[in-house]
Amino acid sequence: MAPKIGVVTFPGSLDDQDALRAIRLCGAEPVSLWHGNDTLDGVEAVILPGGFSYGDYLRCGAISRFAPVMAEVIKAGEAGMPILGICNGFQILCEAHLLPGALIRNDVRVFVCKDQDLRVESVDTTWTSDFTVGQIINVVLKNGEGGYVADEETLRRLEGEGQVIFRYVNGNPNGSFHDIAGICNERGNVVGLMPHPEHNVDSLTGPTQDGRPFFSSAFNFLTAKV
Amino acid sequence: MARVVVEVMPKPEILDPQGKAVTGALARLGFAGMSVRQGKRFELEVEGELTDERLAEVRRAAETLLANTVIESFSVRIETEPESPIEDQDAEEGQASEQDEAGEQAKPAQQADAGEQAKPADQADAGEQAELATQAG
Repeated sequence: MAPKIGVVTFPGSLDDQDALRAIRLCGAEPVSLWHGNDTLDGVEAVILPGGFSYGDYLRCGAISRFAPVMAEVIKAGEAGMPILGICNGFQILCEAHLLPGALIRNDVRVFVCKDQDLRVESVDTTWTSDFTVGQIINVVLKNGEGGYVADEETLRRLEGEGQVIFRYVNGNPNGSFHDIAGICNERGNVVGLMPHPEHNVDSLTGPTQDGRPFFSSAFNFLTAKV
Repeated sequence: MARVVVEVMPKPEILDPQGKAVTGALARLGFAGMSVRQGKRFELEVEGELTDERLAEVRRAAETLLANTVIESFSVRIETEPESPIEDQDAEEGQASEQDEAGEQAKPAQQADAGEQAKPADQADAGEQAELATQAG
């Protein structure tokens, strides 16, 4: 039986359907999760999709982080369940303190939407094991508040422990410290990134299929575990 | 019902793109030499007596939701309402003189309002704020 991967839909989520489709294309069974439920419906991994949950009121992710389903996501993430936060999902994971640091408005002061080159810095996570270190991938980036910031000590720790997993190359699009595009927690099961791998899974709709390894990595991890 | 004001500001070391945009716009408008950092102000109408415990609760609320202490600092203070009717009168006159044109119509309504609820005009507040607490994060 294919492993089940859930995608949470918040009011204002935009990319939940693309994430569900990417999961299916890469072999796992997609499961829709609702922000207002306090259950994960037996899924083995969770994706928090992109969008503008709760209208990005207050701060991006600040209100979603307290949605009923998030109590379960946080508990599961701390217990080792693979969790992937994409864009708004990354912001939610930072607000929930499953990942360190925060995301602020792009230093360029405009919404950025482009095909972005990234360098894979670490493959020791449940979402990136199908990449190779140093690989350059191209994934769409689209956000207004994607500047990753953290204090010096946190940055040192992230760099030292190999928790920086993607870095922007060929230009920093949003002022992120250390060109950070994505990070993981200490255990490597919780990953957050600003670019959108779920949009790069099909040659019809994307210039690359560099998003697929995210979903196949999780699929392989969950299949091997069983 | 007491009003507690929570002000949230980006920490000094954190870039403030909104403030930068406003700074640039001011300069273009000819307001020279003004550098802006933009924050948020929350006005909390708090039910019940404002005990230390209740204020601590407000601080917890600020830390939990209103501010992200990774990137922002916040301050909490009580905003007291003036109780003397003389002060109300002063505030009202101040306001009326500023709005010469609208004065005639606006005045009676304000008087009624002030009389019933002893509600201060905004201008009166500034002097009455009790600085209470402090930076966090």
